[in-house]
Amino acid sequence: MPFYSFATMLQKAGFFILFVTVLFSFQTAHAQKCNLTLKGKILHQENDEPVEAAYIWIMENRTGAVSDQNGNFTIRDLCPGTYTIRVQFLGHKEILQTIQLTGNTLNQTFRIEEESLDLSGVEVHGHREAVQTTTAVTSLYGENLLMARGESLGESLKRVAGVTTFSTGNTIAKPVIHGLHSNRIMILNNGIRLEGQQWGAEHAPEIDPFLADEITVIKGAETVRFGPEAMGGVIMVNPPALPTSKKSLTEIHLLGSTNGRMGNISTSHTGGSDKIKGLGYRIQASGKRAGYIRSPRYYQANTGMSEYNFSSSIGYSRDKLGVEGYYSFFNTELGILRDAHTGNLSDLNEIIENGEPFLKPDFSYDISNPKQVVSHHLAKIKAHYHLNTDWKLNLQYGFQANNRQEYDRRRGDLNAKPSLDLQLFTNTVDLFLDHNFKSNWNGSFGINLIQQANSNIPGTGVTPLIPNYDMLNAGIYLMEKYLKGPLEIEAGARYDYRTVQAARYVGEELQESDLSYQNFSAFIGGLYQLSPYFSFSSNLGSAWRPPNVNELFSQGLHHGAAAVEIGDPNLNSEKSIKWVNELEFESNKALIELTGYVNRINDYIYLNPTGETFVSLRGTFNVYEYLQADALLYGFDLSGSYSFSDRLNAYMKGSIIRARNLDENNFFPFIPSDRMDWGVSYALGKSDSKNSDLITLSNLLVARQSREPDFDLAPAPPGYALINISYQKKIKLADNQFNIGLQVNNLFDTEFKEYMNRFRYFTSDMGRNISLKLNYQF
Amino acid sequence: MKNLRKLPLYLLAILAFGFASCESEDPEKENDGEVITDVILTFQELDASNNPVGAAVSFKASDPQGIEVGATPTIQPVNVTKGKKYQMTIEVLNSIEGEDITEEILAEADEHQFFFLGSGITSNILTTSYADGNGVALGLKNLVTVSSSPGTNNTQLQVILRHDLDKNFPGANNPNFANYIQAGGETDLDITFPVVIN
Repeated sequence: MPFYSFATMLQKAGFFILFVTVLFSFQTAHAQKCNLTLKGKILHQENDEPVEAAYIWIMENRTGAVSDQNGNFTIRDLCPGTYTIRVQFLGHKEILQTIQLTGNTLNQTFRIEEESLDLSGVEVHGHREAVQTTTAVTSLYGENLLMARGESLGESLKRVAGVTTFSTGNTIAKPVIHGLHSNRIMILNNGIRLEGQQWGAEHAPEIDPFLADEITVIKGAETVRFGPEAMGGVIMVNPPALPTSKKSLTEIHLLGSTNGRMGNISTSHTGGSDKIKGLGYRIQASGKRAGYIRSPRYYQANTGMSEYNFSSSIGYSRDKLGVEGYYSFFNTELGILRDAHTGNLSDLNEIIENGEPFLKPDFSYDISNPKQVVSHHLAKIKAHYHLNTDWKLNLQYGFQANNRQEYDRRRGDLNAKPSLDLQLFTNTVDLFLDHNFKSNWNGSFGINLIQQANSNIPGTGVTPLIPNYDMLNAGIYLMEKYLKGPLEIEAGARYDYRTVQAARYVGEELQESDLSYQNFSAFIGGLYQLSPYFSFSSNLGSAWRPPNVNELFSQGLHHGAAAVEIGDPNLNSEKSIKWVNELEFESNKALIELTGYVNRINDYIYLNPTGETFVSLRGTFNVYEYLQADALLYGFDLSGSYSFSDRLNAYMKGSIIRARNLDENNFFPFIPSDRMDWGVSYALGKSDSKNSDLITLSNLLVARQSREPDFDLAPAPPGYALINISYQKKIKLADNQFNIGLQVNNLFDTEFKEYMNRFRYFTSDMGRNISLKLNYQF
Repeated sequence: MKNLRKLPLYLLAILAFGFASCESEDPEKENDGEVITDVILTFQELDASNNPVGAAVSFKASDPQGIEVGATPTIQPVNVTKGKKYQMTIEVLNSIEGEDITEEILAEADEHQFFFLGSGITSNILTTSYADGNGVALGLKNLVTVSSSPGTNNTQLQVILRHDLDKNFPGANNPNFANYIQAGGETDLDITFPVVIN
């Protein structure tokens, strides 16, 4: 019986005795017979996509449930016996099925079939994609996402246990999943892998979080499904499904915050056509403007930003065919902390010793050099066609144009010219076939092409940091999943081939390089419902990442960083195996998720300080070189919540990560330190809608990173504790919804430095910030 | 919906277009516009009433490749005579672009400033003052006095050019301001010339 194996496993893990106590208390409390649970998933027969809001009825008991957005439902406290289950969903054929509940929890998948379109009152379903994977997945949506509005993608994702940020000041934040970031994780904008200049530590993802109604983090190695580089995990930024019938929804977000005197607006309109069945559209736009960020004792000079974004989509969906067009535009201008831009090593050392900027100006919205101006266009077309009830053909094409300009403090007219001016075009094509046989087998296989062209726009007056290059990546993959009762098993494999042709001038000399890489990757995973309250999933996946152009070809001064960086054209591809295990406990009052993982990376590429310095007329610089070593990353994420009453709720989430360089037997730099966020919330609303008024008090605890690399410009900053408080009110006005949020972050204006912020050398982090967030849906 | 049958064709057409329009540009030579390759200090001896005496002598620090890994700058020692007064002018060049950066510095006198440090200054062997005229603290033109009893034949003169500093920072109008970094900005030049005293 699974429970026994689970208990042994826990002992082996030797983890959280508390956990076992909770387990036993439940086992005794529910020692009666009627403690069985029916769990399941409702999927569309023809495309295997989850069905939200289907009704699941147990006829004998007159109890039931409604499926959630992933198609999942749970019915608890059932006695052993035979039951008749009825599954209903508008426009679909009703399912009547008899099931036997014996001593165990039953996990049943129902596939619901669409009725003929000729019938009146039929609602054609939207074709909503959801990830179905056996690795640990966490989504940010609904109220949690509402609370995160106004923050950058990286900042928003800090709400997920195991996700932190690698930031450059307070305006540039890159998400970190289980210690990996930049090119080792993948971000999908509505299903298209985002291709910007992700290699740079100071290059934030070019995406507007307002376009999403759901942001999903996959914490496993998902190279097979999504292509190379998804070594640490995947972030999916998904817009809501388009309507397929007459509908109109307008949403306005209006936000302001005191720190940086930030203003942010976003509006969207979604509509469905009355005349043409299955036609729907959405347009969305947002704008953001902020000035200098305030640390508790001073303003950080030149840390303002402005951003404006637009996205639109149109879709047409019929019984067999679905077509979607999508376009998004992202544009930002970001100021970089003035004093973080240093001329040489003695400049750098002086400011690090000072621990804070020399320049402490008054507040301003001005953005001057050094700054970044980045724009990103993404267009996609997607179509699927149901060949028959078992097979579905999908085609997706994406085009992206990314332009990145970085301006330094220079002399005279050169100030108006960017020091780095890169244009990156990317084409992606996915062609794949999905299938499901009976209700047990489903899977897909397909091909994936990525073609990329990177050009330096001439006229910068600086030798390019990375060369012009053309890249072509072709991949072929296959994956299959088997579902039966409480068990899900999946496996997949993929082969990739990549060529890179790079060329540039260094002075008068033309440097050219032709490189090719190939790799095979695979994964296997499973999910098992151990008992009515416990489920366990495990996933073992391999991944690879070819070296990036900057790692291969960097040669020269990294302007502003007082560092000379030297690439190595002979670097090998990184190869990794990540094993992720997740144990989930869910009862009426408590929810606990424990994720443990090990990630072994061979030939991990890192920038190593050589300890040498380089002398020029400008002064001295540190020399860094790209090296490879075997790396081992492992850790735990724990998140949980408990309801003390229907008004009082407590939650906690924390993560621990360790990263070792196995060759040198030391630690890698910029690995997140141990941290925990916990809090209590109290519902103040009337008895029928208690959660309409909610006040939350939370406490973030971050330890000092005691596992420091052998060389760092400054020691790791001390640990810190912050208190945050928030209030949320939901008001229903006829059919319209009005949401008000008031948040105070860093309530006591605590001065702190975060180890994962590259500007910790120069300044302390953001002080108190009070935000007001208004949202109106009509 | 007959049109939709042709959809794959349209998609293919768009696809072909996307791929064709998408090749990287040929790389072009980029001349480093900002690099300083040569710094020339010209010493003109002055008499008591600040009139030139004899011919001016120049000393050069050069790094012909600019900021490139591997090359180290060559710096000529500065020769001066004890007890004498000199006018020291500074010329800054970019030999890669064939550009005289001195003019740019002069044009942006409000954003630039030279500071003079090193053992020659700190042990009071050399005394410097700005002589750019009109009370401007810049340092392209300076007066340098060599001590009549230096106590040594060898010393050093560190020439620092700061860019984008706060020129009104207290103490920043002193050419020997040791805490120049506190005035903000960044270093464009940091060269230590050996000085031989005859």
